[in-house]
Amino acid sequence: MSTPSAPPTQEKPGPNGPSRVPWLEKLLGNGFKLPANPEEIKKEVINSQVWRSVFRGGAWKNTPRDRAAHIIGNVWLHLHPVRVRLRSLKFVYSWGMGGISFWLYLLLTISGILLMFYYRPTPEMAFRDMKDLEFAISYGWFWRNLHRWCAHAMVVTVILHMIRVFLTGSYKTPREFNWVLGVTLLTLTLFLSFTGYLLPWDQLALWAVTVGTNMAGATPLLGNEGPFSSLLGMRINNDIRFGLLGGTAVGEATLIRFYVLHCVFVPVVAGAMLMLHFWRVRKDSFSAAPYAPDEEKFETWPHLISREYVAAALVTVGVIVWSLLINAPLEEAANPTVTPNPSKAPWYFLGLQELLVYFDPWIAGVLLPNIIIVGLAAIPYIDSNPKGVGYYSFKERPFANWMFLFGCALWFILIAIGTYFRGPSWGWYWPWEDWAVHKPPPPSTWSIPNLAGGPLVGLYFALGMALPRLVRKELEWRLAVPTVGILSVAAGLSLKIIHTLLVGKVAFFAKNIPHFGAGAFMLIALFLFVVVFFGFLLPQRYIRNLALPKYAMTMVLVLMMLGVLLKMGARLGFNVKYVFSIPQVNFNI
Amino acid sequence: MVETPATAPKIEESPDLLSRRGFMQLAWGALAAFLGGVAANSLRFLFPNVVYEPSQKFNAGPAVDYPLGVSLKWMREQRVWVVRREQGLYALWGRCTHLGCTPSWFGGEDRFKCPCHGSNFSPQGDVIAGPAPKPLWHCKIELASNGDLIIDKAVLENRPGFRENAPYFVDTQGA
Repeated sequence: MSTPSAPPTQEKPGPNGPSRVPWLEKLLGNGFKLPANPEEIKKEVINSQVWRSVFRGGAWKNTPRDRAAHIIGNVWLHLHPVRVRLRSLKFVYSWGMGGISFWLYLLLTISGILLMFYYRPTPEMAFRDMKDLEFAISYGWFWRNLHRWCAHAMVVTVILHMIRVFLTGSYKTPREFNWVLGVTLLTLTLFLSFTGYLLPWDQLALWAVTVGTNMAGATPLLGNEGPFSSLLGMRINNDIRFGLLGGTAVGEATLIRFYVLHCVFVPVVAGAMLMLHFWRVRKDSFSAAPYAPDEEKFETWPHLISREYVAAALVTVGVIVWSLLINAPLEEAANPTVTPNPSKAPWYFLGLQELLVYFDPWIAGVLLPNIIIVGLAAIPYIDSNPKGVGYYSFKERPFANWMFLFGCALWFILIAIGTYFRGPSWGWYWPWEDWAVHKPPPPSTWSIPNLAGGPLVGLYFALGMALPRLVRKELEWRLAVPTVGILSVAAGLSLKIIHTLLVGKVAFFAKNIPHFGAGAFMLIALFLFVVVFFGFLLPQRYIRNLALPKYAMTMVLVLMMLGVLLKMGARLGFNVKYVFSIPQVNFNI
Repeated sequence: MVETPATAPKIEESPDLLSRRGFMQLAWGALAAFLGGVAANSLRFLFPNVVYEPSQKFNAGPAVDYPLGVSLKWMREQRVWVVRREQGLYALWGRCTHLGCTPSWFGGEDRFKCPCHGSNFSPQGDVIAGPAPKPLWHCKIELASNGDLIIDKAVLENRPGFRENAPYFVDTQGA
């Protein structure tokens, strides 16, 4: 600061007032003037050649033109339209799940790259590096936690995104193929998780991947333990599982394979699919929400982008807090001869693990997952209902919504059973039961003879396919549903009575039919109701007039879904191992 | 003088040589064959010809050291139970036939139970409960001249009637 008594300077005052550091400006010479205030500094910087070469458009004046240019002129934002409709902006329409999934994908990329600086994918080093990350490396624990919890969160948000897109009918023409891409991305998300959890090389890693890759070994034709594999000469050292593992058991070759798949191959494939997914969203007018006349449009900047930033910020805060509070689990070092008891996969695969209890490996581990994935991808092509695009509506799409939610519920019921109801030796333990309590060994299973089971399965599919289409009359819904409920309970009760009488009085039956409690018959009543409601009442009411091929495809998927439920009931309630079995070709259901 | 119109240079058309369309088809075909070859090559690349895995054959020590019942002696190292019955010895591979976990032996219940999907097996290896489709595998087991048991996990049998005979069973009654 100059004192008031300082002599006046020789320089003439510039346009921005008197110069501030006269000696410096004199030194630099030739009329050079230092900026007078921060505003002027900003202006100087923005107008400099360097800045203008990087960011075009000059100073931000917040005009409509500026706001549009912010979207169009920005490579990261230009997949957005310049203006969006209110309906597609609404949080309760999309719940932001797609965008949040993508943000988690980016957080996973960042945290994953950091972890790669320390992690070495060999059986000798991997587990030690995990321990180092946890105890010896500054913030190693944090980045590992963040990576793990982001992965879990991403599985959740991708599933919720799929449910949202389904319920708003956003997969219908012209967006069918983008739904297929979405189903593929869901599969890739799960595959990323699967390849990722071998890497810590702890007990969970080893055994979850052993089980997962043995399912590949049960693939028909291509896996050495699958049906018909001898036709192709499959052995333990040349089948599809061998190719996946790089050996005959999960070992060092497997670890490096999964490392490459997890860190490079799958992220790159998923990234390419993501670009395609987003590009098609943009090309298909960004949102399926229906147009209204004179609909008000909002500028994407700031209305949509700011929401995206807020959502990303909240999610980031959420996963950071979660990572600070809860450590990612790490079990003991992998031991190929000892399986922990019980051995549970991460929650999102526990549904599959539980499903494997009820069916042979190639059915539960290969056939059913493939049918689920292909069935999901086929939905836009078999759902011919033109209504309900771009908004939630149970009234206009009762069949599709009920069936889809039922399928999702079934999957999460399987996950819940695997998570909360399974204890040591995969025995049934209620959540409040102590695992240390001794349980009697599970009762021996029995199979329904093929002569009875075969016709039973045939009848189930034949009647299931035919009945909803043959009953042409419109059923009175308010009468039909309670009637089915009452009949189901009656059927359960009468079966109980018959069972008691037969087993109690007739020696032949007492010898051949195991004893079942009352709970098993309550289970029958519940299952009967669910099966008749979803397998007959709903299709009879809503799709009996569908064109035959679409009707048949829908019903096959519905009957298989209900069949899984029935088999679960038969095993849990009645210890039935197989309903129908051809052991020569491993066809056991 | 009227100049005769220059005749357009005539393209030599020969039915014997490749037509334009034929050439393109051939070119596309060659590209497809090349890409197919690269795919097949990459696929084959992923199947190693040599794997550095431990030998499946091991010496389980003197047969006389095994008392009646199921021995867990080799479980940690070799994943094999050696079982002695009145008539002789056999070795069970500790790999569940369902999806490859290692079952645990519960002596009090006289059965093996798998921790992954709940399959139960009898001491003979037969499935009692759970989803396993096949009995546990019996390994090839032989009595060496010095009285040691030689067990080979690469040679397996699980069919009743076969697994009770040599080389999957060492008869100590006759010996």
